[in-house]
Amino acid sequence: MNLSELLDNSAGFWPQKPAFIEGESVVSYAELSARTHSLAGTLSELSIAPGCRVGLNFPNSIAYVELTFALWRLGAIVVPIPIECTEEEITDIAGSLRLNAMIGAKPRNGSTQIETASFLTSFRPTPPSDNHGLNIAFIRFTSGTTSARKGVVLCHETIRDRIAVANQGLKITSQDTVIWCLPMSHHFLVTIVLYIAQGATVILARHVLAEPFLHAINQWQGTVLYASPFHYAMLARDKSDTAMDSIRLAVSTTCQLTQDVAEQFIARFHRPLAQALGVIELGIVTLNTGDPSHRWNSVGQPLNGVEIRVLSPDDEGRGEIAVRGPGALDAYASPWMSRVQIAPDGWFRTGDIGRIDADGYLFLLSRKTAVINLAGRKVFPEEIEAVLNRHPAVRESRAYGRPHPHLGEVIEADLVLASGDAALESVRAHCRAHLAPFKIPTRLNVVTELPRTAVTGKIRREVIAV
Amino acid sequence: MQREVFAPDLALHVETDLIAAGFDSMSLVRVLLFIETSYGFWIPQGEINTTSLQNIRSLAVTVSRLKHAQ
Repeated sequence: MNLSELLDNSAGFWPQKPAFIEGESVVSYAELSARTHSLAGTLSELSIAPGCRVGLNFPNSIAYVELTFALWRLGAIVVPIPIECTEEEITDIAGSLRLNAMIGAKPRNGSTQIETASFLTSFRPTPPSDNHGLNIAFIRFTSGTTSARKGVVLCHETIRDRIAVANQGLKITSQDTVIWCLPMSHHFLVTIVLYIAQGATVILARHVLAEPFLHAINQWQGTVLYASPFHYAMLARDKSDTAMDSIRLAVSTTCQLTQDVAEQFIARFHRPLAQALGVIELGIVTLNTGDPSHRWNSVGQPLNGVEIRVLSPDDEGRGEIAVRGPGALDAYASPWMSRVQIAPDGWFRTGDIGRIDADGYLFLLSRKTAVINLAGRKVFPEEIEAVLNRHPAVRESRAYGRPHPHLGEVIEADLVLASGDAALESVRAHCRAHLAPFKIPTRLNVVTELPRTAVTGKIRREVIAV
Repeated sequence: MQREVFAPDLALHVETDLIAAGFDSMSLVRVLLFIETSYGFWIPQGEINTTSLQNIRSLAVTVSRLKHAQ
């Protein structure tokens, strides 16, 4: 099975229907399919072969979709690399996931131009790296500690299963017009691929602000919105009287919705705001579309075929959430660890602490891990600390998320300096040089020591200075 | 703002059209955080619109107005 068949099927059913609209550009399903065939030919001539791992460092665009499906058509593996990554981060991803090549929107040293604004850089010649005999479509890099597994491996069949599960809840059809604003490098499979499989039309919104966004919804009569609480907060506080009557489904994802945003959105637009729990390793596992007014803070009930349970619940039923179901990752890439090794009994531990009510609604309470969630972007503190600790003036550091009323969390770091007179500005410049912009700590606090556990001496992550 | 928020190679002037320069939600988050850190208040979501975020000048006017209203 190859995911490019989903696009070809839609091109057969709805050849003239617009698949994507981006500004003045409208691409029909037939055109999209034809373009990916042509692009696959070009990439093949540039030695991209089945099993090659190809990084995609590309902004949201129709070209992003074309490149992904062209690579799939060739049997190559797509590794999205967020556009905000620094050169150092790109080198790390290319090395740890053993990429054969990368496609970017700008020329690099030794790159070959594919189209007007896409360039291919080869890192390693074929033959491709060992993919353990799997039919891999996608490896999603996950930043983590030096000891953490990197790269969530997903086969074509796994992604097909994921979108089938997700669509039981989302019910996307060819009648839908989706207004898109999230980065494709973070969201693509149970969103863009699903929309293509169902023959929906996707509008790539150019603006993130409320007025133009509302204008786009009304201009294109959008029926589905899939965005983060940050976007919904902006829409909810829009002062105009522009409605969004065409929207049938507005889904909030990436981080926990707050009560005021949920209530303001419903009051402003008279539309329920659905919540979904998406896990990189599992896809969308729960969805709350039915009862937002009474259980606005629940991520919903498990989708058909998905099971959830609380591991070792405390007296109030709270514990780590485990999930079992179709669409679970096939492996971690670096170092390699198969699905059976990751979850021998099929239950995948999410790292989220939560509880399940009597009706089966899941409520997330906190994270077991220290991952920071900045307006929906997940950042591992160890990654920031590794950069901070490389600065000669820093003896040790601790990065953490400080709760923020509008963004969920913001990144701060405590520093123990090697010498008392080091200029923090130099440390900030070091962060700017080595970290993607959104990972740079908002505040650097100088401390004399870091909190540590009494037994192991490890840095305590749950303590936040006031 | 140039140093803290935007790409170093972006030629940023007070009149640069921010949206046209590729302003996305993460850029917006960083601008709002920069203003909160530098001026001590969060721009209310209702004030974040195409007029206030047109360019650096309009942003400065908005920040100044909100600062004086405090």
